[in-house]
Amino acid sequence: MAGILIVEDDKELREMLKISLSRRKHTVYEAVNGREAITQFKPGITDLVVTDLIMPDEDGLKVIIKLKEFKPSIKIIAISGGGNAGPGSYLNLARALGADAVFSKPFSTNDLITRIEELLSDEQVK
Amino acid sequence: MSEKDEYLKFLAKEKEIADKIIDHSRSMISIINRNYIYEKVNSTFCNAHKVTGSIVGKTLGEVWGQETFQKVIKSNIDLCFTGKTIRYEAIFNTPNSGKRFFEVTFHPIVAENGEITHLMADTFDIHDLKLSEQAAFEKEEDFRNLETNLPIGFLRCDMEGKIIHANKAFLNIMELPAEDRAADLNLKNFYPDAGFFDMQFSNLLECHSKSFGRILLNNGNGKEIFCRINGFLAVDEKDIPTFIDFIVEDSTREIMLESRLIQAQKLETIGALAGGIAHDFNNILATISGYSEMLQDDLPRSSASSEKVRKIQSAVLKAQSLINQILTFSRQVEQEKIPVDVSEVLKETIGFMRSALTPKINIRSRIQKRKVNIFADPTQLFRVFLNLMTNAVQAIEDEGGTISVRLDVVDAKRVQHELHKDIVADEYVLLTFEDSGKGMDASLMGRIFEPFFTTREVGKGTGLGLSVVHGIITEMDGEIFVSSRKEKGSVFYVYLPVSKEYADFEASIDGRKKILFIKGNKHESRIFSLALENSGHELIYVSDQKNLEMVMSDIAERPDLIIYMDESKQIRPENLIGLFRKFEINTPCIFITDPDQEKFEEKILNSGIIKQQLFKPVSLKEISNAIQISLK
Repeated sequence: MAGILIVEDDKELREMLKISLSRRKHTVYEAVNGREAITQFKPGITDLVVTDLIMPDEDGLKVIIKLKEFKPSIKIIAISGGGNAGPGSYLNLARALGADAVFSKPFSTNDLITRIEELLSDEQVK
Repeated sequence: MSEKDEYLKFLAKEKEIADKIIDHSRSMISIINRNYIYEKVNSTFCNAHKVTGSIVGKTLGEVWGQETFQKVIKSNIDLCFTGKTIRYEAIFNTPNSGKRFFEVTFHPIVAENGEITHLMADTFDIHDLKLSEQAAFEKEEDFRNLETNLPIGFLRCDMEGKIIHANKAFLNIMELPAEDRAADLNLKNFYPDAGFFDMQFSNLLECHSKSFGRILLNNGNGKEIFCRINGFLAVDEKDIPTFIDFIVEDSTREIMLESRLIQAQKLETIGALAGGIAHDFNNILATISGYSEMLQDDLPRSSASSEKVRKIQSAVLKAQSLINQILTFSRQVEQEKIPVDVSEVLKETIGFMRSALTPKINIRSRIQKRKVNIFADPTQLFRVFLNLMTNAVQAIEDEGGTISVRLDVVDAKRVQHELHKDIVADEYVLLTFEDSGKGMDASLMGRIFEPFFTTREVGKGTGLGLSVVHGIITEMDGEIFVSSRKEKGSVFYVYLPVSKEYADFEASIDGRKKILFIKGNKHESRIFSLALENSGHELIYVSDQKNLEMVMSDIAERPDLIIYMDESKQIRPENLIGLFRKFEINTPCIFITDPDQEKFEEKILNSGIIKQQLFKPVSLKEISNAIQISLK
């Protein structure tokens, strides 16, 4: 059970992720763009962030940089679909900027949840 | 004064006038007797020779020189004494002005008894006239040469359109043999639509000068060509039309290049559009996939509903693979490129095709021996070749036929005019894929690279094949063209820049790792090895259970990474997992599978041993990423 922030501009996808993670008894917070993500982020409560990369109003790469600066131990998973510069290069950039895992859309939610829980258990071990 | 005196006086007067006329004539007039001696000369003659009186009594030989007299004059004089008037042109050496052209006329003078005792010579200096005539002739000759050698077709027709005269360029454009000289032909013959010609022709008669624009014609060999035609009506002084001149320029190449450019721009636009849609679709697919996975968890494992949900998931995977292809077409999937010997990839693809074809289809290949490196993703290159050859097979269909594949290296300067993109290398690889299939018409040809355009029945093929091919080639700075004739077959031309940087290329890896590659299908695996070998890692190939067990049991030789391609018939995935358990191996493993086989793989993935799964077609970029992540 952890606090998870979902940053995604696509409403349906965001809701699906919320329901999916809530079923695993996680507390889910939502943000529709990068700017909202920064204000929604609570260092004491948020354990992990799932962020889209291409969004209007501050993209996911900025979210990664700012949040990692703010709380270096924060776990971040970047998700992205085919964007203008290609999903591959964006995800690589995200990884380089400190994202702990990256998923290319469409992804298996089960895979995502497995990875989320792996990252969270790593955190608890430490 | 007697009548006779008066008459004599009159005669004397007349003679005086006649003498005066003769004397002042612009011709040199003389009377010559049978001994070739001048008996009388007029003053023009004397002036021309700057002498007075002294010519009378001299022979013609003395005046014009013996040689000229013998060769040119004598025979004509002799002929004149037989009673004929003789006229000829000759060059004479005059004492004052050197050699000049003269026109000479000898008139026989017949006496009362019918005897010819004398003749009158009328020698007229035509030198200046002759020179200007010659100048005019040379000018006309120049003009004729210009017209003949002009690269623009020139044509003169009568009022029915019948060709009176055509220059060399016109014959070349129309591929007519020179002997024909286009005689008996009518311009109308070259028009596929005679009615259209009549319309243009009558229009020209009204307007006198008209640009017909670029018109589709059939040349002498029946080939379709585009010509720019301008017509000019010529009228005589009474304003009656006499003939029509046409200027005919071949604009086939111009139109071809234009249409290629338009085509490229169109594809660019569709690509941008499709790429944007693909992005949104991935979001939607992620949502569908997420909910169906939740549903799957909610439902009992082997229920009928669970099976339906699984079908949703399978459809999502198919959609994902489609979107990936659209992204490749719209060049939004980053390609990882390495130096590849294009001939090797081509040979592998031909081998792969041959193993899958019926004997009715024959593949002929002409591949030059030399290694030709280009900068590309070998797996994508394989995809391009496979796609073009599969298309060729489909064009041939059941009747059987031949596919000819050629690989040539061409100088960039020579193909510059073929390509509409900037030249990026000194040399280009030119790949030609020719089939003896059913071919296609121009309207079809203009659309084949568009995504979702297909000639196959609905449901057979996605229509993405050639659009993806186009995307991959464009991403490699190459170009692809097609030419085709209905019922004759099609030819695809692929130009790819030859890479010079091969020598400088070094794979960017930190630390050489040992990769165990469990080989699947012979040819496709070889393409993958090409890609992997260039990554700079050490590769071990295994294609049977015994060897695999040997490698796995030796702890010292154990690989850092295992890549498994599922076509392998020797090693079943279950056996691989069995080995992992038996030897307590935790080597990361990448699984490359067909997207359709996800059910079969499910339990393997669930076993927790395989960390990464990639769906075919896999690009080098995806493999590199997977390797990088797995080795971390």
